[in-house]
This record gives sequence, C-alpha cells and structure tokens, in this order.
Amino acid sequence: MSLRQLLSRLPRCLGASGPLRGPLDTISSVISWRGQSSRSPAQWNQVVSEAEKIVGYPTSFMSLRCLLSDELSNIAMQVRKLVGTQHPLLTTARGLVHDSQNNLQLRGLVVLLISKAAGPNSMNASCQNYDMVSGIYSCQRSLAEITELIHTALLVHRGIVNLNELQSSDGPLKDMQFGNKIAILSGDFLLANACNGLALLQNTKVVELLASALMDLVQGVYYENSTLAKENRITDDIGISTWKEQTFLSHGALLAKSCQAAMELAKHDAEVQDMAFQYGKHMAMSHKINSDLQPFIKEKTSDSLTFNLNSAPVVLHQEFLGRDLWIKQIREAQEKGRLDYAKLRETIKAGKGVTSAIDLCCYHGNKALEALESFPPSEARTALENIVFAVMRFS
Amino acid sequence: MARACNIHHNNSRYVQASQRAIALIAEMIHTASLVHDDVIDDASSRRGKHTVNKIWGEKKAVLAGDLILSAASIALARIGNTTVISILTQVIEDLVRGEFLQLGSKENETERFAHYLEKTFKKTASLIANSCKAASVLGCPDPAVHEIAYQYGKNVGIAFQLIDDILDFTSCSDQMGKPTSADLKLGLATGPVLFACQQFPEMNAMIMRWFSSPGDADRARQYVLQSDGVQQTTFHLLFIQQDDYISSRVSNKKSGGKELLVFPLFPS
Repeated sequence: MSLRQLLSRLPRCLGASGPLRGPLDTISSVISWRGQSSRSPAQWNQVVSEAEKIVGYPTSFMSLRCLLSDELSNIAMQVRKLVGTQHPLLTTARGLVHDSQNNLQLRGLVVLLISKAAGPNSMNASCQNYDMVSGIYSCQRSLAEITELIHTALLVHRGIVNLNELQSSDGPLKDMQFGNKIAILSGDFLLANACNGLALLQNTKVVELLASALMDLVQGVYYENSTLAKENRITDDIGISTWKEQTFLSHGALLAKSCQAAMELAKHDAEVQDMAFQYGKHMAMSHKINSDLQPFIKEKTSDSLTFNLNSAPVVLHQEFLGRDLWIKQIREAQEKGRLDYAKLRETIKAGKGVTSAIDLCCYHGNKALEALESFPPSEARTALENIVFAVMRFS
Repeated sequence: MARACNIHHNNSRYVQASQRAIALIAEMIHTASLVHDDVIDDASSRRGKHTVNKIWGEKKAVLAGDLILSAASIALARIGNTTVISILTQVIEDLVRGEFLQLGSKENETERFAHYLEKTFKKTASLIANSCKAASVLGCPDPAVHEIAYQYGKNVGIAFQLIDDILDFTSCSDQMGKPTSADLKLGLATGPVLFACQQFPEMNAMIMRWFSSPGDADRARQYVLQSDGVQQTTFHLLFIQQDDYISSRVSNKKSGGKELLVFPLFPS
C-alpha cells in the first residue's frame, strides 16, 4: 500500500483552516515543493516523473510496518476529529494529502538519485552481499524513507500551538489542546519509526549522522519560531549570513547529511561523501530561496497574499537599507496596526532584495552542480542536474 | 546492573564508560518523554516544579523533547555498538505505543487489566528493562545474563508503576511532588481502580466515559478507598517483587554485586 493510498483515508475536504498565521506560512512553504512550479508546472512535474522512473518506483516511502500499524489508523481517526477546528495540524495533514497527487517526497527522491548516481564502490567488496534494485541498495532505500519520516515528524511538530497565545478567533481551547496532543503523538510516532529504521541499518556512523541532522533540524525550527511575529517586533534584525546559518539548520542539514549517509552505506570514501553532502546542502538552500522568492516574482498575486518577513529577499532588502529605514518602511505600510502586504511587497520589489536573492539562489544552485561533477555521468546524475536547473529557473 | 554483570563476567568492579553512557541515555530518553507527556496532559507541575510547557509554552516544550531525544541518539551512536542501538530504539517505540494504548480503552473487564499491564510495561518498564539489558550486553557476552538483566529491569519497572498508581490514591500532594488523583482527572483507570471495579460494577460506566462527568473522579476515588483495590494491587506488587528477588539472586550467585540489586521496593 502506498503512502498516497493510506493518506486517502483522511477525508478529502479537511475544511478551511481560518486566517493564515505565522506557523501556517512556514508549514506551507516547507511542505509545498510545488512553489517553483507556478511558472512552469509541466516542466517541474516532468523532471520529477523522469527522476522517479530512474529510481525504480514512485516515491511512496513509509515502511510497510509503519503504514499497516494500528497507530496510524488511530492517528487518521483522531485527525478527522479536528475537522472544523483551526489547529495547524489540519493544514499539515491537508498539505500531505493534496500534495500526494504531485511530488510528495522530494528529499527521499534526491537521496535515491544520489545513491544511484554514485553507484557501488568498486574498490570495496564488502557490499557485494547487499541486494540492489535499479542500482540502489535496499539499505539506501530505507535511508530515503527515514529521511522523509524525520522531515514529516518535524513538520507535524511545527504545528503545535502555544495555548496562552490563543485568541477567541482561534476557537475552543479544548480543540487546540486535543490538536496539540495528536500532533505530538503523531510526530513522536514518526520519529520512533525513524529511530527503529536507523537501528536496522546496523551502521553507527549513519545513525550518528541522521541523529545530528535531527538535532540541527530541531534547532532550525526553534529559530524559525522565535522570528515569527512577536508583539513589538515584526521582523528580526538578522543579516544574511545569520539567515544562511539558520536556514542550513532548518532546511539544508537533513538533506545534506542524508546524502552523505547514503554514500557511507555504500562504503564510499570521505571525498565522495563530502560531494554528496555539498550537493544536498546547496540544493536545499537554493530550493528554499526559490520558495521564498515566489511571492515577489509571480505576475498575478492576490493582494491578500502574505509573505514571511524573515525570508531571503526581505532579509537582503533590510541589509541593503539598514534597519532604521526598513522599520520606517514597515510603519508606512501599516494601516491601523495591520500590515498591508501588497504595499510592502511593492516597496521590496523596488529595492535590491529580490535581485540579490535570485543571485544567491543561482550561487547555491551552481555549487550543487559543481559537486555533481565528481560523479560519473549517468541518467541519475542528469536527473539531479535537472532538479537544480528547475529550481534556479525564474522565467 | 552494569557492575553486577561486570563482576559476574570477569571480576571487574569497574563500570565501563559505555555503560555509564547507557545510564545517561536512559535518563535522557525518560526526560524527553516526560517533557512531551506534560504537554499532552497539560500538566502544570512536575517533581514539585513548574513544567516546561507552563514556563516556555507548548511549542518550545515539544522542540525541547525532540532535542533531548536527538542528543540521546547521538550519544547512543557514539557507543559504537549496533546491538545496543537496537535495544534502546525499541524503548522509544514502546514509549510512543504506550501513549497510544492510553488513548484507547477496552470494553471487556479481563481485557482491561491486560491492557493496563501492557501499557504499564511500554510506558515505564520497557526503559528500565532494556537499559539493564544494554548494560549487560556491554559487560558480558552470555545471553542468559542479558535475559536476567532484562527480566529484573522489567519487574522493577512494573513494580514502580504499581506503587505510583497506589500512591496516587493513598498519598497527598505534598509528599508526591505532583497533584494526586491525577490519573482519575486525566480519565485513566489504573490498577486500584480496575480492582475496585470488581466490587463496585457501577464504576464500569465511569471508566468507559473516562471519568468525564462531573463528580466522577471524586466518586471513583471514594469507591477505590472503600474497596480492596489498593490491597489487591499491593498483592500483585509483592508477587512481582518476589519474582524479582529470585531472578537477581540467581544471576549474581558468583558475585558480590548481589547486595546492590536487592533494594526495598515497598516503602512501608
């Protein structure tokens, strides 16, 4: 049974989730790898479906044991009870279900592709006993699955709400408490499965890599949370270098370390592992910047579309202007305490933030391509290149 | 446990660094689960202090739990023993399944008690059982010893939880460090309640509705105190303690580590 089939147990129409808030922005941008497809959906989908063929099957990963477990049915049932409430878990679940039509598990796909691109290590005979399907070891497939489990677990945990910050528009406290409870349990369930999967790989170095990736991810999410709308400060005073560090933690680390771990499983040497790491890191960074840029480059955007004030183009814009001028611009865009996003967007577009964000995206994209050069040419390598090209594409 | 196994194996009273690491990792996993449990139960105090979720909010509490878990996993990986990794990741899975078991409830009376014991194992005993087993794996190659270590830990864990459940009825808040009747207020039916139900069948309806009607928790508490629920649970406990003592004696006949393992389980 595939993940898609299982998630279809969740009701199709999970209902509207109410006004968008900070956590929902972050969740939406993290799960929606379709961000860049708004300009050329056909092209992106094509890149991904070609890639899926190369790795042997569509990317539906969760291990059979996990899928068929009582707990997951239990979770599905509990999430259904949340319909009609405004808990973010509903948005997360909806995103997972709706995106299942398209590219649900890109991270896992990248791990599979890079495993195939690197191939077996011809110098090391110790892997000869491992079974290989479509050029990928079963342990590497398992690793791809584990990566997705960790990613999804934190996605779900991102949706926890602080009960003392609730307003009357959020609905009954009871619903939010219940939503929190289910979100924690589901996330923990996914993490437990990830840990078990890691144990089965029987490789302590890989366990350490993925555990440290989890730690990085948790720290990254922590920074994301602390920069969300506070009472007096709408945006943090962070420069682009801090932004890069935090974004590496929240977006880059998992993919980078996973790619490296895939190489370790095939017993590749340190150089190959490093190249895989670099690809994962730069590709993830470039993708995040692309996703941040979407509100600023789409031709037709609705006026009510909000954007994250700590996203790449905005942080760069602030850096060029200096803090004081930026705060002034924000105030000018505020009407009766509410931020006019459309107006602020125009202000930002008029500055240098957007163009330099595009440059940064291409910089990381190119670094990713450079890392790929050390792998022998193959279909898998081409697919990885195509993914980077698609992410760097803005016209 | 580590010392007992080491002595048994090669007469070494020294506890290895890796075994110490197991102790640390076990505490970390336990702490992570407590932090998450406090958010799930919306608890305001733990061990006499404010909970993480009350001071810093639910979001940070959940992330804190995840962080501790990841630190424990890194430490576990660094021990460098894949068997030990498998043993302790089983604990993480059991903890989560234990919480899920708590979400559901069983119709049938006999099923309910089995359900309660299974939940108790997963939530409390598994950690102790598996940590003991892991420490023994690092100290000694004999699988028979590993099994004894596991059984010992399991019995200690279950005994501990039973005492905790009893004290929830018989003690008062100051002594406990957390509010009493907490289990009833959360809608949970523990050992004493299940035994009391045999004498007061009207409790069945209350159990099925998770003590959610007003006055349920207080009435249930009264029933338990009137019945022999506490005594029956205590009896069960003594049975386990005996089992435990026997197994620990068997394993440590060669060593002086025996005295370390036999400690009073029952405060009175």
